[in-house]
Amino acid sequence: MTPTALRRSYVESTPRERIAALADPGSFREILDPFARCSSPYLAEQGVVAQRDDGVVVGRALLGGRDVAAVAVDGRFLGGSIGEIGGAKIARVLERARDGAFLLLDTGGIRLQEANLGLLAIAEICDAIVALRERAPVVAVVAGRVGCYGGMSVAAALCSQIIMSPVGRFGLNGPEVVEQEAGIEELDARDRPAIWQATGGVRRVEQGHADVLVEDDLDELARALRDAFRASPNRERLSLERLRNRFAQEAPR
Amino acid sequence: MRGAIWARALLEGARAAGGFPESVVVRDGTIAGQAYRAIAVVPHSGARFPRARAGEFGLDEGIGVAEAVRDAPPDAAIVSIVDVPGQAFGRREEAAGLHLSLAAAVEAYIGERRRGRQLFSLIVGKAISGAFLAHGMQSGWIGALDDGGIEVHVMPAASVARVTRSSDDEVARIATVVPATARDVATFARFGALDAVFDVADPLAPAAGEIERVRTAIDRARRAQLGTRAPVERLQSPAAHAHRALAREVRRRVDQAW
Repeated sequence: MTPTALRRSYVESTPRERIAALADPGSFREILDPFARCSSPYLAEQGVVAQRDDGVVVGRALLGGRDVAAVAVDGRFLGGSIGEIGGAKIARVLERARDGAFLLLDTGGIRLQEANLGLLAIAEICDAIVALRERAPVVAVVAGRVGCYGGMSVAAALCSQIIMSPVGRFGLNGPEVVEQEAGIEELDARDRPAIWQATGGVRRVEQGHADVLVEDDLDELARALRDAFRASPNRERLSLERLRNRFAQEAPR
Repeated sequence: MRGAIWARALLEGARAAGGFPESVVVRDGTIAGQAYRAIAVVPHSGARFPRARAGEFGLDEGIGVAEAVRDAPPDAAIVSIVDVPGQAFGRREEAAGLHLSLAAAVEAYIGERRRGRQLFSLIVGKAISGAFLAHGMQSGWIGALDDGGIEVHVMPAASVARVTRSSDDEVARIATVVPATARDVATFARFGALDAVFDVADPLAPAAGEIERVRTAIDRARRAQLGTRAPVERLQSPAAHAHRALAREVRRRVDQAW
């Protein structure tokens, strides 16, 4: 018997480590890596230090032998926000991908500091996902500390399959935003158990918003990702009938 | 108000299509003899979700728009009349999955466009954030009124100041040096995001001639098949060459390395 291998945590890994662990060994080829010095020119003016990959790692990889696009958003940089560069990177690799794509989404959505350029990019990303998923799987993974919010939660919802861990949260507006906009009586952003209970991976899989629940473990995620590529796309998630029934249950009486 | 007014005024011989939430106005009519369906999300004080009573894009609005798009008459092009202050911010909305409701609308728009249905958008008021993403941004042709009441952004102005912990003055200053954070029509047009901008003396009471100019522009765009263009094609415009040069450069370099 071999000793139990140590778990490798997804949460504790960097975006590049995540892609490397999930793709076929040694197959990931990053495009526009930090040495390409492609960083946002809009941030210095707003008192933010730019990052040389703009917080988005993209490239080409093999997944179970398939030639896919790999995307990982770095939740540590400006909340994993999407600006002009990161948005264009994601959109273009999705447009180029041959046999599918996987997206590791740890993102708060559009980058406020590049507002409308991020918005334009996410409209392109949504279109690219729908175009690609017609011919190949597009799988989203929501398992990081930031979760998946804003425009990117809409993009994720369009994917063929969504994998979550209990750490991941998935929704349109983050709790801080809801509290700020609607008041603390609407939602207390510090009430972490309530937030995870309502929008965390366990709940989202139970609701059918996401397809697969895995633990915070890279090996388990790698297996789940390959399974998701073989699974048929979830066409129920956005079924209007189903959403209508669910929303009726949620309506105040 | 603006959304309802323009949804009512834009099409000729329009009649309301039923079966939608009261916050989703759907009207079928014609422009220059061709069929159109106009769709607008409007305030409705009786909406069952309290966080979506002021014209916000909420749970019911997303699936309402999705259905209006998906079930439009076969020969009709769609005109999305955009006046949306943003998405609904609420606990119930998040629990139920507001992002799925928005995604359903996005999916319906993309699906119809990819099947060849022409999509047009007319921004007549606010075009903010997820609401605009779900209602208007997937159109092949986007026009806007040239008016101080038009706002295109990812967050209401007051919220930006709160989130970034800066003053309104500082937010306004940044908008002058980083155009992507500005909210006005002219700056949004610089990115090649708009196909036409229309002068209107009073957006709440458009004159016959003003409406006619919008109709003529949409009719021309339809005859040129512009309504089926994907969002990425906006990058080809001369304005995008100048002001989205970085996005174009990133895409070129991805292609080189791929």
